Amino acid sequence: MKPYAALIRSNLRLMLRDRAVLFFSFLFPLSFFFLFAQAFHASASGGAMSQVIAMVLIIGVLGNGFFGAGMRTVQDRETGVLRRFKVAPISAAPVIVASLVSGLVAYLPTVFLFLFFGNAIYHAPYPSHLGSLILFISLGLIAFRAVGMIVASVVNSAQEAQIVIQMLYLPMLFLSGATFPVSIMPAWVQTIAQFLPATYLFQGITSILLGGESVTKNLVSVFALLTTLAVCLLIGVKLFRWEKEEKIAKGAKWWILAVLAPFFLMGVYQTFTRQNIEKAKILERTSRRRGSGLFQHVKILVGDGSVIEDGAVLVKNEKIAEVFSSAPADTRSFQATVIESSGKTLLPGLIDMRVHIGMPAKAPYRHLAAYLYSGITAVCSVGDSSQTLAVNADKYEGARLFSCQQAEASTFALSGSEADYDFRTGNPELLNRSLLRQVGPADLIASTREATVKNRGHAAVSTLPAASRNLFSAFQSGVTLTAGSDAGNMLVLHGPTIQHELELWVKAGIPPSAALQAATYNAAKSLRAGDRIGLIKKGYEATFILLDGDPLADISNVEHINSVYFRGGHINRSALFDQFKP
Amino acid sequence: MSETAISVRGLRKSYGDFEAVRGIDLDVQEGEVYGLLGPNGAGKTTTLEILEGLRPRSSGTVSVLGFDPGSESKRIKDRIGVCLQDTNLPDKMKVREALELFAAFYTRNADSDKLLQRLQLWDKKDALYKSLSGGQKQRVALALALVNEPSLLFLDEPTTGLDPQVRHEIHGIIQELKEDRRSILITTHYIEEAERLCDRVAIVDAGKIIESGTPREIQQRVLGHTAVEISTDRAMPLETLPESLKAEKYSIRDEGRTLSMQSESPAALIVELVRWIGERDLRLLDIHMKRPTLEDVFIELTGKRLRE
Repeated sequence: MKPYAALIRSNLRLMLRDRAVLFFSFLFPLSFFFLFAQAFHASASGGAMSQVIAMVLIIGVLGNGFFGAGMRTVQDRETGVLRRFKVAPISAAPVIVASLVSGLVAYLPTVFLFLFFGNAIYHAPYPSHLGSLILFISLGLIAFRAVGMIVASVVNSAQEAQIVIQMLYLPMLFLSGATFPVSIMPAWVQTIAQFLPATYLFQGITSILLGGESVTKNLVSVFALLTTLAVCLLIGVKLFRWEKEEKIAKGAKWWILAVLAPFFLMGVYQTFTRQNIEKAKILERTSRRRGSGLFQHVKILVGDGSVIEDGAVLVKNEKIAEVFSSAPADTRSFQATVIESSGKTLLPGLIDMRVHIGMPAKAPYRHLAAYLYSGITAVCSVGDSSQTLAVNADKYEGARLFSCQQAEASTFALSGSEADYDFRTGNPELLNRSLLRQVGPADLIASTREATVKNRGHAAVSTLPAASRNLFSAFQSGVTLTAGSDAGNMLVLHGPTIQHELELWVKAGIPPSAALQAATYNAAKSLRAGDRIGLIKKGYEATFILLDGDPLADISNVEHINSVYFRGGHINRSALFDQFKP
Repeated sequence: MSETAISVRGLRKSYGDFEAVRGIDLDVQEGEVYGLLGPNGAGKTTTLEILEGLRPRSSGTVSVLGFDPGSESKRIKDRIGVCLQDTNLPDKMKVREALELFAAFYTRNADSDKLLQRLQLWDKKDALYKSLSGGQKQRVALALALVNEPSLLFLDEPTTGLDPQVRHEIHGIIQELKEDRRSILITTHYIEEAERLCDRVAIVDAGKIIESGTPREIQQRVLGHTAVEISTDRAMPLETLPESLKAEKYSIRDEGRTLSMQSESPAALIVELVRWIGERDLRLLDIHMKRPTLEDVFIELTGKRLRE
């Protein structure tokens, strides 16, 4: 072990003395860090900060591996430094291992610096799995240094090294997701990216940093990096060249491909499963949710019946960070994007307590997207088999799905009664509502209309008046009410269900304030989620809607959705259904 | 333990079609300084690197300190000291650090303080490698070759590229090493280096040893004759040379004013020549005797100069 220790000590000493090394390992990454942080407005978004940290970490690991280990070794060979070691009774193993270890020791401080500055200046939270992050980055760095050493061993000159290194470095830098989000690239580029080791490095880092995952959730990336490291060490010792005069066999350059073979297999695997591309989308969504925003001069319906006429809501890292009963004068100190919202009303995301989400494989995701589009951020599906409900909540963006084995007694769903009567008597008017037509799908609306119109002229008895009376007497006797819709039945399409339900409630004599409370806080409590959602309150999840107009004055204003925020992220409503395009 | 530090029989090394070493036999005794003398590309360095265990050989038997460098290179490397051509250390490494680093690779270690003092590097022990002069760098290289107290040293052109004064300094150090009774195999293309330092030399050309022995032996064997050269103020009437002298090989230059003659007994020749000149009433301007150098030997043997 003596040669290993001596070489590591010596390497570290030389690094500390070398101004170029200090520049490239500390000053250079840090300036990139601050540059990116400014460019991405990281101060207003924790997600952007995590992205920036992941970017500079990747740039650092790539540079450290290819230039710090690879190029450096070539230079040491060209200047005759390695030749001196050749006559000593050591193999290449201590030289290679010492390079890996000393590179890691020199690199790790920057990781902590990034995290520290990210937290101190840009208020990015420290990662929940710090140990996992360090472990994963260390593995990545060592693996990339090992690849760098292989590159050094198979090239014959510094010029050749430059070419090979750029050929590996640039695609990895630009396609791994470190510099541009994967989703903006064409599909074929996304597929190519799955063959690059840096993609796995980037995804591992963002999963841990942004997704709050531990390293055990990223075992595939870990395995690929470990395999590369092992292969590099094995053949690196064999291929290592101490002198530039030692020429290498022509075919030996292909060893680089052997080293990267684990990633080739990963690429083939991912091309078929597309797991990684899905995961990248989820991470980007998570990143978007980490934004900070201050909704100024907004009317706030808290959810429990109380109202703030001209207040403000500060959102940070998926949570409501503060609720101001009067809009703060100085907004700069919050480091958040100010969203001027006078004339608008902010209230918790609506909750539909009684839907039937249905069986077909992909449909539930589309239904949930339709709910989210309509500002209904959670639904409770009643009576569906639990298997149907085992949906991956993160796979697609949509409303949160709760499963209720039995309908709550206190849930009233007037829409169901109304729709039942309309259907039996052949009245398709419910399908004409604007919000519903936005949600579609058009062919479902058309076929429903067709089926309904067939019943035109039939007579039936409406249960709506009785249901309305029941609701009103329950309200009068002080029952805690929740609102449902029975969506999934004829004429009650998944989407803007609660809007129409609340209109029916107000017609039944329920005050708008009580109706809205039933569709927000009461429902959240009934789902045993009343400590997380359903209120506009500090510490609650930032899931709410912004309406143009005041629903207390006119309940139909709940249809006038300005924007929807789900878990801190602004929902791009018009793009929600793009998820389901083939 | 054997008396022979290095024993080589029928050593050959080919690179593809090119045969760099074409059958070399040599023995280096313990405590002996043995020189390999030859032009660039003669195969000296290749031979050395095979002995040091850095390169595999194509054929032949080789024993270095009783080990085979082909299969036991690590044991050999641990016991020998090597000073290579064109090596370097990292610019920012201090002299003492270099010694400590390399000491960590060997099972036996010399006292590094003593080594620094002995190689006159004590004042430079904390200097960065890049700040050293050429001579100092070469002394560091020698110090590194000595960190493991080797009983056998390989010095590959230890003074090439150094100015004469520094070369002289290095020669002094090598002579000291010789007094330690270390065996040394040295390659050089400086004749005077070989003449001054080596107990025995081998002249290598095109991958073969074409002559070997002590420098004096080689000179005598190859060129038995010493040249005597005399110059006079006027042309010498060579037709009047005594019969005994006419038999010797001679040549004239400077319109007959300089005569150069070779003889196995130069002293007697001089006496005869001086008498003859006195008799012819010529004024003797200069006289000198030229022994053949290794350079002359080399030219005689190979038809080319060493440093071509």
